[in-house]
Amino acid sequence: MRQTRADDYAEFAAARAGHLYRSACLLTAGDTHLAEDLVQETLGRLYVSWRRVSRVGNPAGYAQTVLTRVFLTHQRRRSSTERATDVLPDLPDPRTADADTPLRLTLVEALGRLPAKDRAVVVLRYWEDRSIEETAEAMNASSAAVRTRCVRALAQLRVLLGDALSEHAAP
Amino acid sequence: MPVEDHKEAGVLFEDRLGEALRHAGGGFETDRSALAAAGAVRGRRLLLRRRAAVAGGVAAVALVGVGGTLLVPWSGDEGGQSVASGQRVTPPRPAEDDGEVSGADLVRTLKKLLPKGKFSEEQGRGTGESGRDGLGMPYAQVVYDDGKGAAAVGVSLNRIEPGSEQAREWTRCPDKRLVSYDACTASTLPDGSDLLLFQGYEYPDRRVDTKHWYASLVTPQGHHITVNEWNAEAEKDAPVTRDEPPLSTVELTKVVSATAWRTAVDAIPESPGHSVAPKPSATTSAPPAADAASVGTTLASLLPENLKVTAKGGQEPEYAYVVVNDGKGESMVQINVQSNMGEALSGHMAGAEKLPDGTLVLTQEAADEKGRAGVVVRTVDVLRPNGDRVVIMASNAAGLQGGATRKAPALTIAQLKRIATSEKWQEAR
Repeated sequence: MRQTRADDYAEFAAARAGHLYRSACLLTAGDTHLAEDLVQETLGRLYVSWRRVSRVGNPAGYAQTVLTRVFLTHQRRRSSTERATDVLPDLPDPRTADADTPLRLTLVEALGRLPAKDRAVVVLRYWEDRSIEETAEAMNASSAAVRTRCVRALAQLRVLLGDALSEHAAP
Repeated sequence: MPVEDHKEAGVLFEDRLGEALRHAGGGFETDRSALAAAGAVRGRRLLLRRRAAVAGGVAAVALVGVGGTLLVPWSGDEGGQSVASGQRVTPPRPAEDDGEVSGADLVRTLKKLLPKGKFSEEQGRGTGESGRDGLGMPYAQVVYDDGKGAAAVGVSLNRIEPGSEQAREWTRCPDKRLVSYDACTASTLPDGSDLLLFQGYEYPDRRVDTKHWYASLVTPQGHHITVNEWNAEAEKDAPVTRDEPPLSTVELTKVVSATAWRTAVDAIPESPGHSVAPKPSATTSAPPAADAASVGTTLASLLPENLKVTAKGGQEPEYAYVVVNDGKGESMVQINVQSNMGEALSGHMAGAEKLPDGTLVLTQEAADEKGRAGVVVRTVDVLRPNGDRVVIMASNAAGLQGGATRKAPALTIAQLKRIATSEKWQEAR
């Protein structure tokens, strides 16, 4: 990689690593080890194809897409032996957590109870603010499938979260 | 109207969900610069090794990354494709005609060098494809069973610049304070080749107990040969089949030193446009702000006098650690010194104290991010207006692995702050 391009990459990676990590933590329902691994893999793949990536209009969105696919690939590999609910979230120590932490625990736990693809839909739609079409593209899925998953995931989250959102997240 | 109410409730729920997700996501923090640097390290490895390492399912050698994270290049069921490319690459079968030394030749050589046993799942790639863009380095991999359990064994070949930092990285033992492993020896053979023998784990935190052993050899002429083995039929996502990988370190040394591999590396076509082993200067993303030795020396000079330094190290530029003891047990202190971090950290320093000269100081005391019981980490993150950054972390453990060695870190937040805001860091650059 040429120096200028390498510098561009380094700048991009440093600027996006935090956001990608947070996305990955949501995708993995709090498995921070796995989240780090996924982000490193994502950044590694972007490094490899940086010349091409840097020419696309929205490298940040591109990075998120790569992260989503890396995550789904990982999930596919282990789906035969593990269910989504088997994920043991790496939750923060409650003794050192701040006052708002209970909401996070509830939401992260709820995410962990969704199937991986449904979780990816939720993260892309409501954390990344992507449209159905954009979500479908990122997941290599049809928009109909994304819609279905989205409805299903929202219904499940409503049940799992109960009143937690209205209590804590109302503006 | 019930329908309208329902719809409105739905919209409201989605709004709240978005807000709650942002809240929850925002609560996950990490050392993003270390993560970015680790990503670049992985990218460089991928670039050099991914086709051999990933497409065939051969793991590349584990290496120490920034901040002591053990990085193991990914191996996935995507067959080594770039995720974005959307093109699947079929795992190659050993061919007879893919180079001066073919994939089938390499598999035959590997089988000949291994002790007697049964072989299956043979894969390989010859030297001819290696220089071309879109493919990778030569390798061979088999599942080998000596009668005590089938195990993946592979060899991958490459060129490397002798004496380069990269060559040293491949042949130097990771710091045991940073990475746990069972054994590692680095030596120089009579012919001047550097040899690393490593016995560790697929996952450094051992969340899965797959063992990964390897030998990595760099000759004075720049041949780089790595022989990997596991105690499972694949590096990841395969059950453990035996207590240990099949080859002893003596056997690994014999296999990795075979001259046939060097002949194969010599047969890799030179291709200036797609250099198999770019010089380090072309792969370094940015000049380091400081080297580990000077960072470590400066850190040691700033420690309170009652602390005895019992160990020190750090194998990456811009990073160093010391282990100190005040008589109450060992405590690890790590430091990162970086430049041009202003923009990258723009969102990270929220809530930081602002010093009169504009320097931002963020302090934190939290449970260990890896979840080690009773381990507490105190962090002081200092960002100067010119983008220079010093992050210092002190824990009540003696390394990145292992449990708590004392009640609290040996340094208080105030002491850490004094170190991180010292003018010496400016002078050391």
